[in-house]
Amino acid sequence: MRYVLVTILTLSLTNGVAQIDASELLIARNTGTKTLADGNAIPVMGFAQTIMENPAIPGPTLEFYEGDSVEIDLWNFSQGAPHTVHLHGLDVDQQNDGVPHLSFEVYHMDHGFYYFKAPHAGTYLYHCHVVSSVHVQAGMYGLLIVHPSDGSQTTWNGGYDYDNSMSLLMSEIDTTWHSDSVMLHTYDTSLMVNYVAVPEYKPQFYLVNGLSDQQIADSSMQLNTSAGAVNYLRLANIGFKGCRVILPSTFGTQIIDSDGRPFPNIEYSDTVLIFPGERYGVLGTLNYEGNENITIEYFDMNTGILENTQYVPIVSSGFVGLNSSNNSNGLLTVQPNPFNQNTTLHIQSENMNEVIINIFDIRGQLVLSEKLTDNIGDELLYEIDGTLLHSGIYLAEVLIDQKERLSQKIIRY
Amino acid sequence: MRKLLSTLLLSLVVVSAQAAVVEDTVYINNGLFTTVDSNTLPYTAFNSSSTFDQQNTQLFIGVGDSLYLTIINTDTQPHGVDITNTTGYTTTVGAGATTTLACQFNQTGIYILHDHLNYPDMAYFGLSTPIVVDNFAGSIFSWNIKEHQLSFNDSIQNNGTVNWSTYYPEYFTINGNSNPAINADPLAKVTGNVGDTLRICVTNTGQSIHSIHFHGYHLRIVFSSKDAAHVDREKDTFSVYPMESLILELIPDKTGEYPVHDHNLVAVTGGGIYPNGMFLTMIIQ
Repeated sequence: MRYVLVTILTLSLTNGVAQIDASELLIARNTGTKTLADGNAIPVMGFAQTIMENPAIPGPTLEFYEGDSVEIDLWNFSQGAPHTVHLHGLDVDQQNDGVPHLSFEVYHMDHGFYYFKAPHAGTYLYHCHVVSSVHVQAGMYGLLIVHPSDGSQTTWNGGYDYDNSMSLLMSEIDTTWHSDSVMLHTYDTSLMVNYVAVPEYKPQFYLVNGLSDQQIADSSMQLNTSAGAVNYLRLANIGFKGCRVILPSTFGTQIIDSDGRPFPNIEYSDTVLIFPGERYGVLGTLNYEGNENITIEYFDMNTGILENTQYVPIVSSGFVGLNSSNNSNGLLTVQPNPFNQNTTLHIQSENMNEVIINIFDIRGQLVLSEKLTDNIGDELLYEIDGTLLHSGIYLAEVLIDQKERLSQKIIRY
Repeated sequence: MRKLLSTLLLSLVVVSAQAAVVEDTVYINNGLFTTVDSNTLPYTAFNSSSTFDQQNTQLFIGVGDSLYLTIINTDTQPHGVDITNTTGYTTTVGAGATTTLACQFNQTGIYILHDHLNYPDMAYFGLSTPIVVDNFAGSIFSWNIKEHQLSFNDSIQNNGTVNWSTYYPEYFTINGNSNPAINADPLAKVTGNVGDTLRICVTNTGQSIHSIHFHGYHLRIVFSSKDAAHVDREKDTFSVYPMESLILELIPDKTGEYPVHDHNLVAVTGGGIYPNGMFLTMIIQ
């Protein structure tokens, strides 16, 4: 009966009652395998998007735009316990929350449909909520990212611009929990609550995006950036341990959001503590070419004892956006850039009457501002006294006649 | 539990127009804590009577109120008395003895009454409970979250030592209960209506860090004992360190029944059984 009702709802929604902007299929599988850093393969549960696919850990990253009307089709392809999709942090209504005894669970070869409107741009999670301790450890989880509605490369609507982004999802694996006695737990569908025994949790593998140790080095997982580029990192923890993510001291790390909401005040720290279920967004920039690491420490939440450390490389190559900025009307050139003593903004646009020059630091704070008026003409040279600025990255913004905006990243060394 | 003295006395200690004088008595009782799977472990609690109750009594007063707290120790050993994030209230109370604290709290927050002797053993062993200081007029719920390891309680009861570097608790409770009994506790069970402003006080008197996840809603941090800079952050998952506390504000925008649980999913178990741990639901009409 449940399947029939859900199908009717789907038809009504797709026949014009409500428009679906984005649709995703998640295939729940109990028969996946995962190769660990020691070369051994273990059984896992997980989410895939094609039948031929081995469910990966983590599952596919689902990406939507703020305001999208979303449909997720969960197809349970495996026998055994049912599955659900909990949309972690998306504040969906009870029916779509994925908690089995409070909404619905999806049985073998059934489909279940989840509907929601993508909330604030930010970083979220999804995972199965059936015997969640077991099914999450088994691998049934993934990231869900909501982008700004305008499709811009910003953290959220009206948020921070960035040049590169990277997501790091932390978790662990205790191979004992992947034995048949745990994964193939009994499940009585006639009961409101199923009681399931679990062993002690003593993970042997500490994962970043499903990989650990040499697997990370052997993969292409690294933050590729350029000197001066603004990087946005999405950090999330779906494991059962605490994580301490340590960025390079030269990264200028700003912690700007958590759990899909901007912080009221930026936190400046090169260390981000992330506990199970939390997500954080950080901005950072390297001002030089070279190699660094993101260090991730996993510690026990009962004892505080450090259990493992993983490293994700940062490779900074080349310089970003140091030449000029233009649009159909105007041109802004900065020479020299980077600079130490002085630099000159060369502004070109037709019949300029009023030009406002603003200099913002990387935190978005206005550090210099000047308004120039009186028939400037088609060309303006404006010199910036470098002694007024500390070394670092700045944004030079030029507003022309209240209708044209040019901007250029500048570096004072 | 909360007794107002005469208007005359009140007028002598006025800090603000609403400040009151509050008299209260708590008893230090030793007894047996019954777990979700009917195991028992030795425990000591702050109770509102001389009868042992594994659910610690919690104190609620207004900002600026003067609290006269009588502490009666019915245990056979002395205990310490202290309040976190305060100075000047540290004392001891001998076996069978009584002591009185006169204290005042001038800021919204949660302060933990606890036994500071042999710290953190006795605070972990049950002698730690929140004093909630808040003038909020709406519905307030309060969670004293904690975890328990049988062998540690046995050792502490017998004046033995425990090695915190080996701590692996088996039971996880809110106000002394695990799921499903948490849901029968009106102080823990969050109920309200769409548009209400609700406050949830979360106090970690255990020794583990807990990561509390709310389904259905984001909540705003009103108070954080660990870091005042966290106030006004809106989140769905909140870390709570040992002997730290949060006051969270929830304004529900939709009806439904939504879980809240520790997202260290080991803490959703009890005695190795899922879901006998730190799990409850909120009901919004």
